Amino acid sequence: MPSKLADPTAGEAPQNTEHTSADFSPAYLSVLGAALLAACSGNEDGSSASTTANATATQSDTAFATNATGADVSFANQADSVSGYRPPNATTNNGIPAAAGFNNFPVAYTTNDAARFLMQSQFNASDAEIAAVQATTFAAYLQQQYAKPIGQTGVQWLDARGYSVSDKNSFFYQTYPGEGMIWNQLFTSQDGMRKRVALALSEFFVVSQVGLDFTWQSYALAQYWDLLVKNAFGNYRQALEDVTLSAAMGYYLNTRGNEKENSSGRVPDENYAREVMQLFSIGLYQLNLDGTEKLDGNGKKIETYSQSDVTNLARVFTGYNFDNAVGKGTVNVYDDKGVLQTYKVDTKESVLRPMALTVSKHSTLAASFLGTSIPAQTPGTTALQIALNTLYNHPNVGPFLGKQMIQRLVTSNPSPAYVARVAAAFNNNGAGVRGDLKAVWTAIFLDDEARRTYTVSTTPAPAPIAGSTIRNAEGRLNRNIADKAFGKLREPMLRFVQWGRTFGLGPAEAGFVYWKIPETSNPASSLGQSPFRSPSVFNFFRPGFIPPSSALAATNTTAPEFQLVNETTVGGYLNYMQDIIRSGLRSYIDPAVPEQSYPSGLGYKLHTVANYASELALVTDATALVKRVSLLMAAGQISDANQTLMINAIATMPINSSNATTLASQRLDRVSAAILMVMASSEYLIQK
Amino acid sequence: MHASDIDSPSRRAFLQRSAQLAFTGAALPTVLNLAAMGDAAAFSAPDGSYKALVCIFLYGGSDYANTVVTYDDASHATYSTIRTSIAIPKTPPVDAPSTPSLANTVLAPITPLSNGRQYAFHPSMPDLANLFNTGKAAVQLNVGPLVVPISKAQYNNNSAANRALYPLPPKLFSHNDQQSLWQSTYPEGSTIGWGGDIGDLALSSNSNSLFTCISITGNSVFLSGDSALSYQVSTGGAVKINAANNNVYNSANVKTVIGNLLKESRSHILENEYNRVTKRAIDAEVAITSAIGSGTPLGTGTEFAPFVPVLSGNNLASQLKMVARLIAARSSLGAKRQVFFVSAGNYDLHDNLLAGQAQNMTVLNNALNAFYQTTVNLGVADKVTSFTASDFGRTLTSNGDGSDHGWGSHHLVVGGAVNGKEFYGVAPPVSNTDTTSPNDQWHVGQGRLLPTTSVDQYAGTLATWFGVNPNSVNGAVSELDSILPNLKNFGVTANGINYPKNMGFMQAP
Repeated sequence: MPSKLADPTAGEAPQNTEHTSADFSPAYLSVLGAALLAACSGNEDGSSASTTANATATQSDTAFATNATGADVSFANQADSVSGYRPPNATTNNGIPAAAGFNNFPVAYTTNDAARFLMQSQFNASDAEIAAVQATTFAAYLQQQYAKPIGQTGVQWLDARGYSVSDKNSFFYQTYPGEGMIWNQLFTSQDGMRKRVALALSEFFVVSQVGLDFTWQSYALAQYWDLLVKNAFGNYRQALEDVTLSAAMGYYLNTRGNEKENSSGRVPDENYAREVMQLFSIGLYQLNLDGTEKLDGNGKKIETYSQSDVTNLARVFTGYNFDNAVGKGTVNVYDDKGVLQTYKVDTKESVLRPMALTVSKHSTLAASFLGTSIPAQTPGTTALQIALNTLYNHPNVGPFLGKQMIQRLVTSNPSPAYVARVAAAFNNNGAGVRGDLKAVWTAIFLDDEARRTYTVSTTPAPAPIAGSTIRNAEGRLNRNIADKAFGKLREPMLRFVQWGRTFGLGPAEAGFVYWKIPETSNPASSLGQSPFRSPSVFNFFRPGFIPPSSALAATNTTAPEFQLVNETTVGGYLNYMQDIIRSGLRSYIDPAVPEQSYPSGLGYKLHTVANYASELALVTDATALVKRVSLLMAAGQISDANQTLMINAIATMPINSSNATTLASQRLDRVSAAILMVMASSEYLIQK
Repeated sequence: MHASDIDSPSRRAFLQRSAQLAFTGAALPTVLNLAAMGDAAAFSAPDGSYKALVCIFLYGGSDYANTVVTYDDASHATYSTIRTSIAIPKTPPVDAPSTPSLANTVLAPITPLSNGRQYAFHPSMPDLANLFNTGKAAVQLNVGPLVVPISKAQYNNNSAANRALYPLPPKLFSHNDQQSLWQSTYPEGSTIGWGGDIGDLALSSNSNSLFTCISITGNSVFLSGDSALSYQVSTGGAVKINAANNNVYNSANVKTVIGNLLKESRSHILENEYNRVTKRAIDAEVAITSAIGSGTPLGTGTEFAPFVPVLSGNNLASQLKMVARLIAARSSLGAKRQVFFVSAGNYDLHDNLLAGQAQNMTVLNNALNAFYQTTVNLGVADKVTSFTASDFGRTLTSNGDGSDHGWGSHHLVVGGAVNGKEFYGVAPPVSNTDTTSPNDQWHVGQGRLLPTTSVDQYAGTLATWFGVNPNSVNGAVSELDSILPNLKNFGVTANGINYPKNMGFMQAP
């Protein structure tokens, strides 16, 4: 698309008659003389943009005409009828130019916009981050996130907590250090975006604690998380290799200990060869760039691989095991007679390093798969590179990975055009590099389909602006989304993490540093989902899941996260949240020591608790309280009508006790009620 | 994915019913009077009888060769040679006398298999072996998804002409697709399962249609019909949502608001669907909780008296116990025809097969035997039929300590109405070689069995007992054929194998 610059406008000073200046991003308030966004104003055949492009904003219904890719072209060129704002020159967006369907909504107009962006690109929105987003462009904000340091790794946390010690506590056998590690990472990391996309990658390159059972497995899990984090802003090719050689994945899908064929009829284990193709790279069917399936001359889907490909590729993944070159360590374990025994086991380091190759156990056969041939007797290290390169270079990877990442982060049913734009970014980051994951995240979050905002209402509603179709009656910018299937169901574990980060979840007392939050998989009494605990390598839900017996089924609308929704889990979530919102997380396990001990006399001890200071400051103003929670949890997407119901209910809750303890309890009840009502509403649960 | 595929079950059923029901395809949790709409009345439910099917899905691909183990000397010797380190011995070796062996689980069918073939169950299944030998269980040999009867040569011939005549089931060897295929005749993305289809036909038998298809495990397509919903109950019963029933943080008003938020209709499709499930959960919980025993709090493990005790930690047994409690409560629930779904995992034994399968078979043996005995205690043994199913069988060859994805497998049917103490289907030769010998014609490499009975035949036999009409009425497609679309391709003999539509392992309905 040729880029066409419109005349820079010496814009008028914004006329903020009905909004406070705090609502509008300083970035766009300060734009004067900026050129218009370019390519979005062009027509598909390259001819001139509509004549409305440079005119004063028209007030007609044609204001929201879209071009063939669906971008609101004319809106992007319109000055806001109230503020006079025009979006800034694309080239000021950190050098990321707008294109058809991409980056035509470069800034947050409101706090809702900013919060919404933060909830897509990381776990939660805070006041400070909302302000930071509003102070710049989305593109620039992403660059800031890419530059953030990783912070303490999962392995470092385990070491700092003393979990590498080998004593009667047998940490090397336990899974709870791994639980504490991941909860700590998710709740406290400062590089929220990196951790968010790493978690999304963990639902693609799936490893689950459910399938791990070996010494030092918590360390192996931490190492696996750390490599997803390390590669989150790196390259897919490196991620694929690191995953393949990791101890956790090696154990999970049986590459570890996989041996070549022998004369007694033993053949290589095919598990990893199959799943690395089916799930981690190319999928089952050949795809167009836009994620749709290619069809042959008879209208049938075209398979990407056959059983023969699996059997051949399996030969590449032979000869690997945990790296015992670092030697065996010893662990001291009490046997069942209470006698302390010393056993030799793999050291912790053996599960932190990539698996090592034993040449004599590697297949010597030739291997042909996916059009690639590896000659017999090829050294294993060479064969692995050839195999991974073959997968990495397959044209399916961009759309296959790209579409699933869009589904994890933005919407369950992206348009093919959206998928194509993201896949194109995977294929070439603009500097000739394939597989640059930063390019993928940028493509996902700056796409017009992600950045359009829902029309939301606030109370009280300002007077309608006569004659304006750019602003709706509430004064909100009316970039209307007619699509009633946009968005996705928030995953249960993400709701929990969002709540915790939003409200400063942390240790109830100094010294409670072990984050002993139990895993939350129980569907009847907890969230029905827990990080790194999917039931199988197929993740918690399938990318193509359509809820049976539903309106979605009748229209073939995909909603992967609904695979977790049933009459049990809807209740488990609500009951769990109702309890911990108000009372925090409690347990009979001693929170002050690394091991799981149940000291008598501890009681049901509060170990991890939220900090509602900002919300408690608003308890006497039910409206402000509800608006705040609606903003921070739902990006303002709770409708007028429902906010009113919530406000009215809270206003009837007494906060008048003369007893200090009771009063504190009443105040906490109000805050808890606001949070629970929002978190129970479908408007929150569906992230739009 | 299937929007343009006119044969996809969701489209097919939708088109079939929408004209009659004049709705948008969204399921209705209300009673439907199928007879009034002209559908053939399928069920003789007015006679007051009760029937239930219980599907026990073994996720991961259950290893047939070590579940129903070939036992006669000749075939066992071949099996041992091929399986090497993962074979189970007939008797323990002298130097390892505690090795599990097949001596205690030999199956003695009424009709001996030809060529002197014999089978035994895995050593951890003594109670199920006893059920077989006392006529309460049957074994369906070598069953798997098939579109049409197919020979090995037809399987191997990938020419377009041959494939058009002998289509293969899609996405063989892929877990999620084969799970979907077993449960619904279509690969992943399917929204209608044959359990749900049976449920659709049974809705009019039940006073609350919601309790027709009940899952005690996670979401799956098996129980989803186009009207019948898969209703989920946990092993502890229906979850009572506190905020919808009691004051929230001391506020009745907040309780009211939350109650409204949870149930309100929404114009956004995803919001609305979520609330539909929650509303269903709230509305149904009261009925379920009171039916299965009032005052039984969730998760306390209060024993259900008729249930035969099982060692704790057996999640499959916990699921089946809840099924038993729901069956016991069938009068309160107004149920005459029900389909249940339970599952066990950890069957994908690419490694650690011997220990893993031993554990799995102990769980299955204990849970299923206890469940059967419970149905005896409840007086419904001949009204409840349980059957196993799985993604696929596995290879016969070993990868060192495990087996890989396969196709055909052996499965169990248990209940008082089963024509037990018999094998059904065809005993496959034990082989992993690729010659033209007849012995090599029933596997597709590494001993992956080429099925000689289709899932449609297996399912059709169960469905017919349940009450689905296998006969065409007024020239229309029979109910049975309408829910099992490939069944019409069977009822023939091909390649020397008989593929009867009804396998005969159930007594007359």
